[in-house]
Amino acid sequence: MNRLVLLTLILLTGCAGVPVAIKFPDVPKDMLIACPDLKLTPETTKLSEVLPVVVDNYGQYYNCKDTVDSWIDWYTSQKKIFDSIK
Amino acid sequence: MGQIQWVFSLIPDAVLNWMYWAIIAVGTTGMFAGWFAKFIPVYGRYLQYVKPIGIVLVILGVWLRGGYDTEMAWRAKVEEAQAKVAKAEQASQQLNTKLDQERKKKAVVRKEYITTVRDRIVKETQIIDAECKVAPAAISILNDAARNSVKKGTVTIEEVTK
Repeated sequence: MNRLVLLTLILLTGCAGVPVAIKFPDVPKDMLIACPDLKLTPETTKLSEVLPVVVDNYGQYYNCKDTVDSWIDWYTSQKKIFDSIK
Repeated sequence: MGQIQWVFSLIPDAVLNWMYWAIIAVGTTGMFAGWFAKFIPVYGRYLQYVKPIGIVLVILGVWLRGGYDTEMAWRAKVEEAQAKVAKAEQASQQLNTKLDQERKKKAVVRKEYITTVRDRIVKETQIIDAECKVAPAAISILNDAARNSVKKGTVTIEEVTK
């Protein structure tokens, strides 16, 4: 029994893990910036002073939408690349 | 065990291969010499040592040679895996560059578009304000809608009831 254990140990010395490190993919830095809050309208009775804030907020929405779309695109593509190396 | 492997990795593969074959050759020679030695009177005195040492060397040599083949097979697999990883990292980097460029282009176009719309407001200020007076309540409602009602860290989960 002891000999069997010893033999197993000797044979197991031939086993060694060979790690191949896979680096977690980077993401474009501007995609890590959180979306800011929407702008608030100043106290006014003039519609011409309200509209620019609304326009800016719409623009802000599309910027954030673009970031979310980019994240989806990034994840899908990176996953495809990651799966290809398995 | 890692240190031994590291020392072995310093020896060129071809030299290592020759070393293992040499151990097998010496072992085989010793083993057969052990069998034939009984017919040689002087040599026969060492028979009890030569034969077992030869057998041990043959076993060791075969074990090491087998390990060498396995090691080479693993190295080939590691090289293949490393090449795949390098290719994937390059593809990933290229994808990021492309994505970054597209985002920058879109940001420029959007900024120009918003500027154009804002310019139109400036141009048509008199027309816009001529027949419209915004009530303070409307501003208040607009701002309430613009405020984030779910701020970070304020989300509470209530117990689910059937």
